[in-house]
Amino acid sequence: MKFTYSWLKDHLDTDLDANAIGEALTNIGLELENLTDYSKSHGNFVVASIIEFKKHPNADRLNLCTVDDGSKKYQVVCGAHNVKKNLKGIFAKEGLYIPGIDLTLKKGKIRGELSEGMMLSERELGLSDEHEGIIELDNKIANGTDAVTALGLNDPLFEIAITPNRGDCLSVRGIARDLASKGSGVLKDFKIEKIENSNFESPIKWFIKSDNNSCEFVLGRYFRNVSNLKSPEWLVKKLLSIGLRPINALADITNYITIDQGRPLHVFDADKINGDLTMHLSQDGDSVKTLDNKEYKLSKINTIISDSNNIHGIAGVIGGLESGCSEKTKNVFLEVASFKPSGIAKSARSLGIFSDARQRFERGIDKVFVEKGMDYASSLIIQYCGGEASKIVHAGDLNLKPIIINYEFRNFLKVIGFDLEPKAQIQYLKNLGFKITQQNETNCTIEVPSWRNDIEYSIDIIEEIIRLHGYEHIKEEKTISTNEDKIKIENSPANKKHKIYERLKKILASENYQEIITFSFHSSDSHTSLKGSETLKLSNAISEEFNYMRNSMFGNHLKVLDENKKKGFEQQSIFEIGPIYENTNVQHNILSMMAFTMKSVNTVFENKLFDFNALTIQISKLLKELNFDIQQFAIKRSINEMFHPGKSAELWQGKKLIARYGAIHPIIIQNYTKAPEVYAAEIYIDNLPLDTIYHNKKISFFESPFPFSEKDFSFIFNKDQNLFEVYKSIMGIDKKLIHNVDFFDQFYSHEIGLENKSITFRIKIQSQDKTLEDKELEDIFSKVIETITNKFDAQLRN
Amino acid sequence: MDVSKVLKEALSELEKSNNDDSIQSLRVKYLGKKGLITDLLKSLKDLSVEDKKKFGASVNLAKEELLKKINTHSLEINKKNINEKLSKESIDITFPPPISQLGKLHPISKTYKEVIDIFGNMGFSVAEGPDIETDFNNFTALNIPEDHPAREMQDTFYLNEKDELDKPFVLRTHTSPVQIRTMMNTKPPIKIIAPGRTYRCDSDSTHSPMFHQVEGLLINEDANMGHLKGNLINFCKDFFHINDLKVRFRPSYFPFTEPSAEMDIAYSIVDNKIKLGEGDKWLEILGCGMVNPKVIENCKMDSSKFQGYAFGLGLDRITMLKHGLTDIRSFFNGNNNWLKANGFSLGRI
Repeated sequence: MKFTYSWLKDHLDTDLDANAIGEALTNIGLELENLTDYSKSHGNFVVASIIEFKKHPNADRLNLCTVDDGSKKYQVVCGAHNVKKNLKGIFAKEGLYIPGIDLTLKKGKIRGELSEGMMLSERELGLSDEHEGIIELDNKIANGTDAVTALGLNDPLFEIAITPNRGDCLSVRGIARDLASKGSGVLKDFKIEKIENSNFESPIKWFIKSDNNSCEFVLGRYFRNVSNLKSPEWLVKKLLSIGLRPINALADITNYITIDQGRPLHVFDADKINGDLTMHLSQDGDSVKTLDNKEYKLSKINTIISDSNNIHGIAGVIGGLESGCSEKTKNVFLEVASFKPSGIAKSARSLGIFSDARQRFERGIDKVFVEKGMDYASSLIIQYCGGEASKIVHAGDLNLKPIIINYEFRNFLKVIGFDLEPKAQIQYLKNLGFKITQQNETNCTIEVPSWRNDIEYSIDIIEEIIRLHGYEHIKEEKTISTNEDKIKIENSPANKKHKIYERLKKILASENYQEIITFSFHSSDSHTSLKGSETLKLSNAISEEFNYMRNSMFGNHLKVLDENKKKGFEQQSIFEIGPIYENTNVQHNILSMMAFTMKSVNTVFENKLFDFNALTIQISKLLKELNFDIQQFAIKRSINEMFHPGKSAELWQGKKLIARYGAIHPIIIQNYTKAPEVYAAEIYIDNLPLDTIYHNKKISFFESPFPFSEKDFSFIFNKDQNLFEVYKSIMGIDKKLIHNVDFFDQFYSHEIGLENKSITFRIKIQSQDKTLEDKELEDIFSKVIETITNKFDAQLRN
Repeated sequence: MDVSKVLKEALSELEKSNNDDSIQSLRVKYLGKKGLITDLLKSLKDLSVEDKKKFGASVNLAKEELLKKINTHSLEINKKNINEKLSKESIDITFPPPISQLGKLHPISKTYKEVIDIFGNMGFSVAEGPDIETDFNNFTALNIPEDHPAREMQDTFYLNEKDELDKPFVLRTHTSPVQIRTMMNTKPPIKIIAPGRTYRCDSDSTHSPMFHQVEGLLINEDANMGHLKGNLINFCKDFFHINDLKVRFRPSYFPFTEPSAEMDIAYSIVDNKIKLGEGDKWLEILGCGMVNPKVIENCKMDSSKFQGYAFGLGLDRITMLKHGLTDIRSFFNGNNNWLKANGFSLGRI
């Protein structure tokens, strides 16, 4: 909402200057977004004239001007093409700040010639983008006049943010009223004269169809023989001062009342109307061309205005083009209506129209002002357009029953935390125009003023009181952490998860992984190649690149690797902990990692290419941090199409996927980076039991004083043998004595048959109670051989 | 045989020995089973008691001295040999290593941790909910009816898929739905914060279609606006490490709180940089208020018995302010150069 200081003063008697008003506005919840006060920023620029000029000796396009500001003469180097003798413009002396180009002028030489200031363009003044030369002023203005006065900029402009509940402050009058209740001035009386001599019947009547459209009440009046020319100077100036374009008197009057009183109106060219006007719901397929020169397709939710032939507007939103008023308009019909806010919101939103009328109607207008709005508009029309006004016609009913609230004074203390005397509470309410119809020591009954549609309940009253009293008076108190809170925090699954994420992040950082955060969406290409569900499509994505909720982070991460590779990063390891989506109801928070290395040219510090085994070790470490040994899980080849079928694995616990990892499928990589191989992993942290992974695993520390024995075994297995299973079987042979099994060699050869593989591992055996005898060791060894040969159809070598 | 002569010979031979082998043969020659000094000891048995005592002592002394000298000499040779070897093993210590990068964590991770810790100290536990939400949880339950202008305050992403009430699913525009889920499923007292990803269809240097928010909710029988104010000021002091932080609370509007407030932090521009905490300019930092009784009722709680406060702030925004970062888009594009400069290494988290 924009308005000027002088416009505000039409309604408010105040001694406060613009800055103080701005501060007061923010303090009562009408947040000041911008105050353009040219007297502050432009006060030091003055009117000056170029008394002579000549070409700059060292630059074709520059001129050396002698500028007179009324008290002194200056030499100014100027590049503007419109330099001429006796030109009057705006002059900035050296040392001044030029707002439009964010520069402070320094005394200096330009191409060897002294320049003591600058003649300014509109752009340099920050008034517009106009840079086609320096400003030229009327020759009558005296040199030395300050620029603010000369340019008519001495009226500070306010821009304030109006929250959706404050429809009443979408008017200068409403803002003045709110400021007055805070004590920032006195609201001026505002009298509307009813026009006399309205003695003919309006040839156009109003009807409201009972089809549940949003119009509840409408007034109309016919004006004949008006002349719709240019608005009076004061009105043109007012509209211009807040950036509105004056059109013609009728349009300007309706715009003015909209801004000044928050009361939108509409005028039809009555000669374009056939018969009467009806408010009703549109049919699907109807369309209308409106004043913004666009054509809208309508549906059953739009309330429209039509005569017997045509649609003449989208009610409460925008008028129709055909019956719009022009300079030729001779007879007009004025509409002043009241609508159901939700109906207007729905209608305008469905068409994507933002208009001043919509903005006010969807927040609710002052119903008591409907009739006054008619009178006010009528008197301005008669005054500035002439003609005669008809009797008023109407349709519908206006429910003017005020809202009544029973309020208990002690509720203020309960909600705000400090006490305020009932007398003081009531004073604030009265300032705001609330009527106290009944009152005792504890309670009162309040009648809400007609312009405050947002006030319904006791809590609204409390808000009004503290808003005017000032939030700065609210006492700061502390919320203390209780034992109960501490226990809740300790047991909160989400708190635990964040601790777990932190642990994983630290491990990854120590492995030189970089943490990234990417969007929860990805491109349709990624979604297709990663086989995501169609249910995850956004209906209003910002671009094709982000139009699906991601079902994996791989698409986003490959893009990151690619972008970074273009910046010269030949080795990268990245990870993200965040959400992926299976469908609209299932979201997993997972750890996703990705890494690749390019062969380095460095022969001194050689790097090993990152490979499946390097990744396996990292996965194993991360799982260890989560209190799991990787071999505990069921491992199988991944059939997921994101991965290289031979170089990828999945870990499962029962029916739950715990992790998948391996080389990204070359077909997917092709679209992104030229890296030879990219490795990636997803760990489904959520699928692991929270309490197991959260707690520190307690391993009882006991170092056996007895010697340990180690023995190596080599077996020939079928080459598809799952060695996780072999590991688990060996560990299961004697849980007390077998400490670990360390696999350390593997080979394939013709000698052992190409369908086979040779695997070597070392078993470490140690008792906590005694030195094991050879016989006992031999027993275990033979059990190992027996188990493996029988269970896995393997053959001991040597 | 003359002991001293033998010893003298032995020592002079030792002097000439320059490797382990020659020392070993010298040891055999003099101290071996048939060595010269061993022979002298053997000859003792033919002497008189008195001579045995006298001669024996001198032989033993000679033996000890030789042993000691042999050891010393062999240590020296060993040392000399090693040094000789090492002198050939010198490598170029000045060859510069390739550029290495420490693993860095995203600034948001640090903020998450700090926010959870600071509110944790006030007794708030963490709660969470899904990013894809129902229209009811994201709007209606929060007192934002379908045709309310407040819906226009937030540009919402919708999915094609519809929920049980036949409304399209939305990407949550704030983490407030977590408050609804918590209030629906828990009995007061409630004291939670909900950090997480949030979404609005907006994209420029200060708006990202995805960003992070933390919201807080406290419901009990007597929490008032003074608690709200006190806690949030404390949070900001803690988070920004500014003890005499200048703040202001001013009235605002959110459908789910009443009275509603926004909190601003004072700042000034010093050397083209934002200096937080003092000055005469104001930066909006968070929105808050007393939970609207309608929301409490929507969550099947008795609003005449329970009341509380709620607040919400942008995690990316406070991260940017605290660490002087300017473009929110760089938070989410994985740019390694940016992360190198602005991420936090393990030791600094």
